[in-house]
Amino acid sequence: MTSLDTTPRQVPALGAPTLAERVARVPTPIWVAYGLTAACLLLLGLSTSNGFDPDRLLRILSNAAPLGVVAIAQTLVIINRGLDLSVGPVMNTAAILTASLSAASGASLATTLPVVILVGAGIGLVNGVMLAFTRIPPLLGTLAMATVVQGVNALVTRGQPRGVVPGELRQLADGRVLGLPFSASLLVWLGLLVVVGLVLTTTVAGRQFKAVGANPRAAWLSGVPVRSHTLTAYVASGALAAVAGVLLIAYSGSPSLTAGDSYALNSVVAAVIGGASLAGGHGGMTGTFAGVAVLAFLTTVLNSYNIPSPVQLVVNGVVLILMLLVNSRLAERKGRR
Amino acid sequence: MSSAAGSLLPRVSTTSLRSVGSARFLWLVAALVVVVAAVALPAFRNPVSVGSLLASLTPILLIAVGQAVVVMYGGIDLSVGATAGLATVLVALSPVLPGGAPLALALVLAGGLVVGLLNAAGVVAGINPLLMTFAMSGVVQGVALLLQGTEGARIPGAVFDVLGASVGPVPLLAVVALVVLVATWLWVGQTRTGRVVQAAGYDRRTATRLGFPVRRTTFVVYAVSGLLSSVGGLAIVVRTYTADALVGSSAVIDSIATVLVAGIVITGGIGSVLSVLPAALIIAVVGQVITLTGTDSYYQTIFKGVLLVAAVGVYSLAGKKITVPWRLRQPAVARPADERSAS
Repeated sequence: MTSLDTTPRQVPALGAPTLAERVARVPTPIWVAYGLTAACLLLLGLSTSNGFDPDRLLRILSNAAPLGVVAIAQTLVIINRGLDLSVGPVMNTAAILTASLSAASGASLATTLPVVILVGAGIGLVNGVMLAFTRIPPLLGTLAMATVVQGVNALVTRGQPRGVVPGELRQLADGRVLGLPFSASLLVWLGLLVVVGLVLTTTVAGRQFKAVGANPRAAWLSGVPVRSHTLTAYVASGALAAVAGVLLIAYSGSPSLTAGDSYALNSVVAAVIGGASLAGGHGGMTGTFAGVAVLAFLTTVLNSYNIPSPVQLVVNGVVLILMLLVNSRLAERKGRR
Repeated sequence: MSSAAGSLLPRVSTTSLRSVGSARFLWLVAALVVVVAAVALPAFRNPVSVGSLLASLTPILLIAVGQAVVVMYGGIDLSVGATAGLATVLVALSPVLPGGAPLALALVLAGGLVVGLLNAAGVVAGINPLLMTFAMSGVVQGVALLLQGTEGARIPGAVFDVLGASVGPVPLLAVVALVVLVATWLWVGQTRTGRVVQAAGYDRRTATRLGFPVRRTTFVVYAVSGLLSSVGGLAIVVRTYTADALVGSSAVIDSIATVLVAGIVITGGIGSVLSVLPAALIIAVVGQVITLTGTDSYYQTIFKGVLLVAAVGVYSLAGKKITVPWRLRQPAVARPADERSAS
C-alpha cells in the first residue's frame, strides 16, 4: 500500500523567473511606449537617405538630454501623484544663474554648478513643503511657483539676461566623449536615468516611494513616511530641473527668460508616453526614456520636412491626448478584469 | 432682507442670495482696495486711468467667469489663455477673409466653441481634465502661431468700430462682461442645467446615479469656457491693439487665481459665480496701482502667484475641505487602533 506518497511534487520554482515569464510581466504601457519609439525610429530612418546612421541617432538623443533630465524629474513627481509645472521656469533660473555666476572673475564650474543645483533644490523644497504639509493641489501650487519664479527671473535680470557661458560647459553638449559620436550631456542624462531607475526599483526607499504614489493611505498605515517622500519628489524635481537648465544653456549657449517654458508640457508628454499615470504609482525610467526618444525622433522628423515649429507644438499636444486616451482605455480594461 | 430681495428678484433663490452674503467679506476687501487706491493715488481717480482699469478688468472678468463655471463643475481649463490668443489671431485675419470682419468674429466664437467641445470630448472619454486642457493649450497655441504667420498682424479698423464701441463712458465689452457675469450667476444658480453643474461638481458619482445629464453638462461647461475665453481674447485685442498667439498666456493664472480668490472651491460645487467680480477687481486694481506707481511690472506676476497660494491657503484654513477629484490624495489620518485590539 502506498497511501503516503512522500516524493515531493513538482512545484514551480519561486526563484529566478524564466525569460517568458519576464516578458509576460512587462506592463502594457511599456510595450506601447517602445512600439511608438520603434514606429518613430522607422519614420526617422525613412525620412532621409542615411536615416538609420547610428551617429545621427546618438546625436539626436544627445540633443534631447535637457528634456531627458527634466522628464526624469516630472516622472518622479507624477509617480507621487503630483505634477510640477515649475520645471520650465526653474530651468530658466538655472540657465540665467549659471551664465551670471560664470561672468564673475575667478568663477569655475566646480563652484558654480553646485550653487545652481542647490538653488533648484531649494525651489523644489518650497514646492515640497507647500504640497506635503498643506492641502494645496500640486497643479495650483506649482503653477503659482512657476509664476513667482518667472517673475523673479524677469525682475532680477531686468528682462535682459546677461552673462557668459564658459567653453567647458559648451563642450558638455557639443564635444564628443573620447571621439565617440555622442556628447557628455547624453552620458549625464543616461547616468541619472540609470541611477534614479535603480533606486526606484531595487531599494527599499524607492519601492516605498512608488507605494506612496499608488496608495498614500495604505503606505502611511504601513509605516511609510508619506510626507518625506513627497518632499523628496519635489526637491529631486527642482534639482533635476536645474541640471536640465544647465544642459540647456550648454546646448543653446545663451541664457534666456523663456527657453525652458516648453519643457513643462514636453516633460509631461514624455512621462505619459512612458506609462506614468496621474493617479500615481505608475511609471518609471524605462518608459520615460522611450517617451523622450519618441519626442526627440518626432521633432527631428518634423524638422527634416521643414515643418514649422508651431506644428510641433500641435503634434506634441495631439500625441499627449492620444496617449492619455490609450492609457485611460488600458486602465479601464485592467479594471474590468 | 431676504423678503425684500425676494420681492425685488422673485425668481432668485435664497441659496443664490445666501452665497452672495457669505462672500460679503470679499466684497468688503475689494471695496477697501478700490477706496485705498483712490485716496492714496490721485492718478487712479483720473478718467483715463478708470478707462484703462475697465479695459484690463474686462478680459479677466470674461475669462474668469468661464473658468468659474468649469471649476464649479469640478474640472479645470488650462487652455483659456491659448484660446484667447487664438481669438486675437483670428480677428487679425479679417482683411484676408472674404467675409471680412463679421466672418472673422464668427470664426472667433466658433474657434472658442470648438476648443471647448474638444476639451469636453477628451474629459468625457476619461482623460484627466487637467492634462486634457493642458495638451489642448499646446495644440491651440500651435494653430494660432501658424495662423499668425511671420509678418506683424494688424487689426483692421472695421473690427475696432464694433469692439471698441462704448455705451456712454463705459466700453461696450465691459457691459457685455457684466451682463455675462450676472447671466452666468443666474444660470448656475437658477436653471436646471446650472444646478446639474453644481451637483456634478459637488459629487459626480451621486449626480450620475441620480440620472442627471452629467455627460451632456460636461460639453456645456467646457463650451462656455471656450466661448468666453475667445470673447476675452476680443477684449484683449481692444486693449492691446495687437494680435499675438501668446498674448493670453497670463490669462491661465489670472483666471485660476480669480476663481480661487472668489472662494469657488477647486473641488467644485461650492461658491458663487458673482464673487468673481470682486476677485477680478482686486487683481485688476492691484495691477493698475503697480502700473501707476511705476513699480516694476514683474512684481505683478509675483503677486499673482503669491495670491493664488494665499487664496487656497486662506479658504482651506477657513475649514473648507480641499481634496481634488482628479488628484485623489487622501490625507494620512490615523485610525483608532481597532486592528490592534483584534489581534
